[in-house]
Amino acid sequence: MLVKINSAAILGLEAYRVEVEVDSSRGLPGQSIVGLPDAAVREARDRVRSAIENSGFEFPASYFTINLAPADTRKEGPLYDLPIALGMLMASEQISSQRLNGSIILGELSLDGSVRPVKGVLPICLALAKDHQQVMVSKGNADEAALVEGAVVMPVESLRQAADYLNGKIKIQPHRVDVASLFPPEPEFSLDFIDVKGQGHVKRALEVAAAGGHNLLMVGSPGSGKTMLARRLPTILPPLSIEEALEVTRLYSVTGLLNSKGVLITRRPFRSPHHTTSDIGIIGGGRVPRPGEVSLAHLGVLFLDEFPEFDRQVLEVLRQPLEEDKVTISRAHSSLTYPAQFMLVAAMNPCPCGRLYDQNLNCTCTPIQIQRYWRKLSEPLLDRIDIQLEVPRLKPDELSSLPEGETSKQIRQRVQAARRTQNQRFKGSGIYSNARMHPKQIREFCRLDKEAENILKSAIVHLKLSARAYDKVLKLARTLADLEDRPVICASHIAEATQYRTLDRNPSTSSG
Amino acid sequence: MGMESYQQGIKGEETAEKYLVQQGFEILERNFHSQQGEVDIVARDKDFLVFIEVKNYSFRSLGSPLSAVRKNKRESIIHAARTYLLKKGIKKTNCRFDVLTIYRGMDGSRRIEHFKNAFFCD
Repeated sequence: MLVKINSAAILGLEAYRVEVEVDSSRGLPGQSIVGLPDAAVREARDRVRSAIENSGFEFPASYFTINLAPADTRKEGPLYDLPIALGMLMASEQISSQRLNGSIILGELSLDGSVRPVKGVLPICLALAKDHQQVMVSKGNADEAALVEGAVVMPVESLRQAADYLNGKIKIQPHRVDVASLFPPEPEFSLDFIDVKGQGHVKRALEVAAAGGHNLLMVGSPGSGKTMLARRLPTILPPLSIEEALEVTRLYSVTGLLNSKGVLITRRPFRSPHHTTSDIGIIGGGRVPRPGEVSLAHLGVLFLDEFPEFDRQVLEVLRQPLEEDKVTISRAHSSLTYPAQFMLVAAMNPCPCGRLYDQNLNCTCTPIQIQRYWRKLSEPLLDRIDIQLEVPRLKPDELSSLPEGETSKQIRQRVQAARRTQNQRFKGSGIYSNARMHPKQIREFCRLDKEAENILKSAIVHLKLSARAYDKVLKLARTLADLEDRPVICASHIAEATQYRTLDRNPSTSSG
Repeated sequence: MGMESYQQGIKGEETAEKYLVQQGFEILERNFHSQQGEVDIVARDKDFLVFIEVKNYSFRSLGSPLSAVRKNKRESIIHAARTYLLKKGIKKTNCRFDVLTIYRGMDGSRRIEHFKNAFFCD
């Protein structure tokens, strides 16, 4: 007897329907699974056998051919355990297939017959829930599946429960989640900018970066608080909207990182990969490409500490996502695109020993060493980092005497206001922040008043700003004006913006 | 020793046979051999053609007695079963592999356990 059950497979972020066909025939008992299964799918038969026997059913003594259609795409992972087990029970007429109704069924089986959560349930439901009457998933995946509007989610705890439901013995209430209630009214963070003493100009720069979506490079001696400051950046970014939260959650779902993070990710991600991470780890990859750190930082912050310690290769692969907000990874099997719209925050020491800018300590590095250190950062890469600034070490008396600064909440409100202005300005243009303006838009939106124009001209002459730096200064000035809700850029904005181009003013270090 | 265990084996198979007949099995063959395998009993149980391995125990070892039917033994039984089906020209019949364990206590008591559908072809 032949039974067909709907399930699903994931390729990148996209999901498609897979039909699990189970055919029993007479002969010596055994099973074969076809349809390009990977090792985890092939191992299903051992799990399925134990699960069926331990759920009080009889393992049928027939020859089973199990086909996962379409047969030309690779099937991965243990999510077909439950449909295969149910298919075998239906084929041997231990349960009825009447109430199947084309449901999508996914779940891993444990040997005792309980159903375990699997990866990628959210993208599967997003793609398939509307065309199918219901989705049967494990209890652990129920919240994730129910995030999708209109999905009828049947949570099951065990194979027995699933079978009883299909036999009509029990009813299962569809699982519902109120997505809006998952968002805290006011985002809560364990970190806050109020914890950071001093460093006013760095906080200001982070505020500007957050407001305009600018990438940022901090150069400072060890212990000056670069990491501490960067970690607090997500606390001043505007909270995720529901659509954005679903987008981030989808990425974490396919990577299998979701269970440790709760159902819906409502905070902007902050990723800080170690500097030994490979280029594949950063950008994504593998035989079937998986999202890398740039995609896991999507709509959040990618923090690269000890920037020049990263492999040159790693730094250069950052260029595509920084430019296009996505990464396309091609492998023999497939070419996949993952979103990667993140703010890059990099931190580095000014020289290998870290004391170059320190007044009290003597730097022990040779000029050659310093040059070699800086040479890791290529021009095109630095070109994509709008804000470059020095973070000095605080003196002991400053640490105790400085007053407390603003809270993250106060800063966040200004950032949100500036973002709103930008959203209105760029409506429908596919751009969402000042940092992404093209030259044409820079000319259109970055209007200077007379005084500002004069200051900019003299800055070009005296600070020897390049043409590239010129555009950056205009973009930054636009963000500064937005923070004050001014339509036209004034002199003070230009003056402040030029402060954020430290490396343009130190050609000896930047050109390497 | 060798003779003794051989005789015990024969005895065990007789016990098994009696038990199976009681259960409504029709015994078709005893000690069926193929080139690379053998199966203790071939029997018919309603719609099923059943290949049965008989295991004798004089003490209860750790773990399931089923685990005593290791991969080599399973392969030998499966080979014999395939040969049997081929020789008799049997097609499209439900088949099954059973294991029957006979436990003999010191006091001469006996316990039979019947594991239906104990394993399948890999």
